[in-house]
Amino acid sequence: MSIRRYLVLTLFSVLTLITFIAAIQGYKVSMSRAEKQFDQQLIDIAQTLMAVQTTTSKIGQVTQVAQQGSFAFQVWKNNTLIIKSNNAPDHLIIAPGLFNNHLNKEFIFFSEVNFLNNRWRVVTLSNEQDDQNYPSISVIVAQPLQTQFALAQDLILAAVTPMIIAIIILSFLIYLIITQGLKPLHQLRTELGQRNTNDFSPLNLAVNNTELADIVITLNQLFSRLATAFQRERYFAEDAAHELKTPLSVLKINVHNITQDFSTHLSSKDLSVTANDIRHFDSVKELTNSVDRMGHVIDQILNLNRTNTSQIIQNSTRFNLNTLLQQVVAELYNDIAMKEQTIVLESDDFFLFAHEFSIHLLAINLISNANKYTPIGGKIYVSVKLINEEKNRGNKKIALCVEDSGSGIDPKEYQRIFDRFYRVGGDQHNSDVQGCGLGLTIVKHIADVHGANIELSQSTLLQGLCVVVCFKGIALEKEQGDD
Amino acid sequence: MRILLVEDDLPLASALQVSLKSEGFVVNHVNQGKVALNALSAPDQDMIILDLGLPDIDGLEVLNQLRKQKSSLPVIILTARDSLESKVKGLDYGADDYLVKPFEIQELMARLRVIERRLGTASSALICVGQVKLDTFAHKVFVGGENADTEIECHFSKKEFMVLKALMENAGRILSREQIESKLYHWGEEVLSNAVEVHIHKLRKNLPDKFIQNVRGVGYIINNSY
Repeated sequence: MSIRRYLVLTLFSVLTLITFIAAIQGYKVSMSRAEKQFDQQLIDIAQTLMAVQTTTSKIGQVTQVAQQGSFAFQVWKNNTLIIKSNNAPDHLIIAPGLFNNHLNKEFIFFSEVNFLNNRWRVVTLSNEQDDQNYPSISVIVAQPLQTQFALAQDLILAAVTPMIIAIIILSFLIYLIITQGLKPLHQLRTELGQRNTNDFSPLNLAVNNTELADIVITLNQLFSRLATAFQRERYFAEDAAHELKTPLSVLKINVHNITQDFSTHLSSKDLSVTANDIRHFDSVKELTNSVDRMGHVIDQILNLNRTNTSQIIQNSTRFNLNTLLQQVVAELYNDIAMKEQTIVLESDDFFLFAHEFSIHLLAINLISNANKYTPIGGKIYVSVKLINEEKNRGNKKIALCVEDSGSGIDPKEYQRIFDRFYRVGGDQHNSDVQGCGLGLTIVKHIADVHGANIELSQSTLLQGLCVVVCFKGIALEKEQGDD
Repeated sequence: MRILLVEDDLPLASALQVSLKSEGFVVNHVNQGKVALNALSAPDQDMIILDLGLPDIDGLEVLNQLRKQKSSLPVIILTARDSLESKVKGLDYGADDYLVKPFEIQELMARLRVIERRLGTASSALICVGQVKLDTFAHKVFVGGENADTEIECHFSKKEFMVLKALMENAGRILSREQIESKLYHWGEEVLSNAVEVHIHKLRKNLPDKFIQNVRGVGYIINNSY
């Protein structure tokens, strides 16, 4: 969840909740106040009636008074109805028992009764009966509860409505303010999001709040340190290459020189031993093999270092995969010819947008593995196919497939062979085969960076291992009109 | 042929000197770029083997200066820098060949001989692979047994000869159809798509069986061990 959404949502809900609670509280208090107010009104009316009645009264006649308002009233004198509003019934509004009960004890009392299909709030007012000369007069005033309630609600709603409108306006303002306030953060995010992973140049961002300015400064420092570290890593690879490869070359040349010297020396003593014979002496063969192996390990370690993600992304170009595979096969041809293997490359001119050096390395590792683990006289089949996916049209994949007639790999080991320094068979691997267990790790790494996936299976054609590397997305068109 | 060896690693330089001398080359060794440039101002070198990682100035700079002086002296770069970019850069700067350490000494010798023949300073213009001898000077090809009497001269057209020469000079290395074509035709020249196949077919008729091998999908090769 984004900060902006979080802030807007939380503030909005807190605001609504609190306003709601306040409104409820206000409603309750206002209601009880209103009730009191209405009761007071009833009493006032009753008292007025009482005052009027004590002075002007005729006996034996009920006066009906037209009543426009919502009040209903009755005036009783010595248990006889003398005045009533026209909306009041002829009988006593309140229950007679209740009336008599209260009459002698209290002068004012409230009750709620039903008549005329309404519920009414009723006040009963009696005159003081300390003097027997005066007749007992009771005034009953009633108001429908519904009216009371509606009135009270009107009042309260009128008070609450502005609050609801305020909430809406406030929410809108909060949204605007937060969006505005988070703008620099948003800019920073966009700036960082647009960056290449290998772009370590300082951020070019004008920030005028202290918090973000600090972050930008820290980020820029981090970038520069990363750039330095990155460069140091690259230089290390270059230096290591030079430092390790030169002595290795010395070893190689000296092996050659020794064989030459030896053969000259021997032939001077009339022993006909050619340099080629000496090369096949076990000790010399071992020496040459070890030197080659060392060179191989150094190469692979450097290659693993060199194919780092950012460099691959940065230096991608469009190239012909077929030409590249031809080069790779040509490079490895000596090894292939040595084992009298047949290699077939079947590919049209497919163009790939990728890091050429890495793909070259990937192909070298795959084909040289096929060469190593296929017996003398075996077959290697390299092919490139364009796979059209049925499901999503136009989405084409390029599949590089290397098959061999070797003994293959047990499917149980398929996962492990991509581990660093792991070799098929674990510790019991065939040590006749040169290698250091980095080849497939490099292949996997390169494939991952290019978003390609690797599938291992048993070759149906040659019965050995079949490795398929599928390039998605980066796959480009087949060269047009090239026939 | 006189070779100027520019290499700062002394053990490597002395081992190389031994090998080169035993192959009949005359070697002068210097270990710094500036010294190399001085040595090159005198016109007594036939070619240069150049290391790139020199202590004073970079090997590429030496090459650059040399080419600025309009010198067409053949240069083979010998370096630990094995990235594609540095290789392309080296060749762009005008190197004739680029070998990455650790290299096979035979490979270096083969490339030296190619240059030697090109310069015409070769003690022999003959390239021999197995029973086949190719005279680059007289444009003749001989196929035969151990002694000269049993040798038979084969007659090939100019293009066929060039295909065979390219393959024999690069014995042990595969040449793709495109690579062979580029040696036969100039830019823009009309090339039949099967021209190389036709030449190879004619060559094969007159040469020993399996002398020229086809690697399907890749190209053609003449094996050293043949």
